[in-house]
Amino acid sequence: MPLIHRKFTPMKNIKIRINDLNFFYKKRPVLKGLKGVVEEKAITTIIGPSGVGKTTFLMIINRLYESIPGCRVEGKVEIELNDKYIDIHKLPVTTLRKKVGMVFQVPNPLPMSIFKNIAFPLRLSGIKDRKYINDKVRGALKDAFLWDEVKDRLNDSALELSGGQQQRLCIARAMIMEPEVLLFDEPTSSLDMEAALKITRLLKTLKQRCTLVIVSHYADLTRRISDHVLTLKEGVLSTTANPQIIEKLDQ
Amino acid sequence: MNRFVEYQIKLFCWISGIVLISAIGIILAFLFHKGISSLNFSLIFGETRPLDGLLLRNEVFDGLFPAIVGTLLLIFTSIFWAIPIGVASGIYLAEYCNIKWKPLFNLMLDVLAGIPSILVGLFGFAVSVFLHKHLSEHIYPCFLISSLALACLVLPYIIRTTEQSLVNLPFFVKTTGLALGASRLQNILFILIPYNLSRIISGIILAIGRCAEDTAVIMLTGVVAMAGIPNSLLSQYEALPFYIFYISSDYNSQEELMNGFGACIILLSICVFLLTLSHILKRKAAIRFATHT
Repeated sequence: MPLIHRKFTPMKNIKIRINDLNFFYKKRPVLKGLKGVVEEKAITTIIGPSGVGKTTFLMIINRLYESIPGCRVEGKVEIELNDKYIDIHKLPVTTLRKKVGMVFQVPNPLPMSIFKNIAFPLRLSGIKDRKYINDKVRGALKDAFLWDEVKDRLNDSALELSGGQQQRLCIARAMIMEPEVLLFDEPTSSLDMEAALKITRLLKTLKQRCTLVIVSHYADLTRRISDHVLTLKEGVLSTTANPQIIEKLDQ
Repeated sequence: MNRFVEYQIKLFCWISGIVLISAIGIILAFLFHKGISSLNFSLIFGETRPLDGLLLRNEVFDGLFPAIVGTLLLIFTSIFWAIPIGVASGIYLAEYCNIKWKPLFNLMLDVLAGIPSILVGLFGFAVSVFLHKHLSEHIYPCFLISSLALACLVLPYIIRTTEQSLVNLPFFVKTTGLALGASRLQNILFILIPYNLSRIISGIILAIGRCAEDTAVIMLTGVVAMAGIPNSLLSQYEALPFYIFYISSDYNSQEELMNGFGACIILLSICVFLLTLSHILKRKAAIRFATHT
């Protein structure tokens, strides 16, 4: 089934192409014949009732579904890297996940200092240059509007930060590898209004740097910052541009 | 539910707790009452001067010192074998094992946990006989075989606690590292093990207790009444539980029996000391890698 979306802006370059994507969990089909595209350097929001497979959809894009036993994917998901479309299943999984970062619903800082948290992906890549790491961490924290709040306590545990700060820390951590795509799984749903607004503002600035795909319950957030909205319903990305859905969610 | 029944159940729980605590209290009181009088330096070091004995300058012949050292060495060596194998198997079961094979592994693990210690001892003995016949005439039941057999005995504790703690981690913890581009091994080393350190240590605590007290295994695999401090992995050794066992089964005088009670108190103190130590470590690990909610 084809997927079309409600367009707020005309589409330029395509970053992700999804073709006939089927997803099965223990032989039960969850996503059926998904078709669609994600625009480069834009914000694409996926909405839909809970339990429909929105998070699953994100986890297919960075292949995180592979750590859940009993999952199977059919079809093709291609990502544009260096002007070429590459099937995500043909890339080494660690490379893919460095290109496609993910931020979860619940902030998940690691139980270490703020600095070490941000530097963790660099450590995974085996980078040891102190100065380079320091510069990158500072840059990432500034990008996430977190630098001013934490610059004096980089060695404190990240778990001492507030929920909103933790979420921005997770975004900074995902940004440090300069990913080309960032996936967000309801990034604001566990936060209060003020913290959610900060994140929303941050997402808007991030779209100049990379492609954002956001799963969201929040119609408000969705409408304010999205360039495209996809509706996922009964395992199928909806075929019609359907503004009423957003209006409905607003109520 | 009926109020009366609820009250009865509550009462039963209370009584169970009290019975347990008083049973332990009675055992401890009995031990101390019997053994405290024999607790002195000569029980541990015999006629050797304590300092000379401690520094291994003179051999201790009629004291418990070699048995204490033997027990400590045995605990540490067995744990030393068991930790890497146990933790690695736990990780295998939780992370790598194919779903189809998992029930088989779990069954095997349960069987291993259920094997009576005397059987493990017998197996160790058979191995030493086999090695003696086919590999070298110099191999007898010895410290090495004892420690390996004990390691087998305590492996299930370590495997189970490691596996369970990994399996029960919240999904978002398990995937944090993966989503950042960590390979599976990096995820295990940098995230899963640090997160679980305190729970893995719980398994090790259980194992320490078991190593310290088990008599059946070592009885068949190399412990003897008089051997002194073992000077190599292939020599025989003494251990406290065995001393307690043979003293209580054939003592010549009341005094010897008292010495047995003294040995019990020493063994108990060693256990309490090691367990406290590992609880402190566990506490530290838990604070350092506190799971967040």
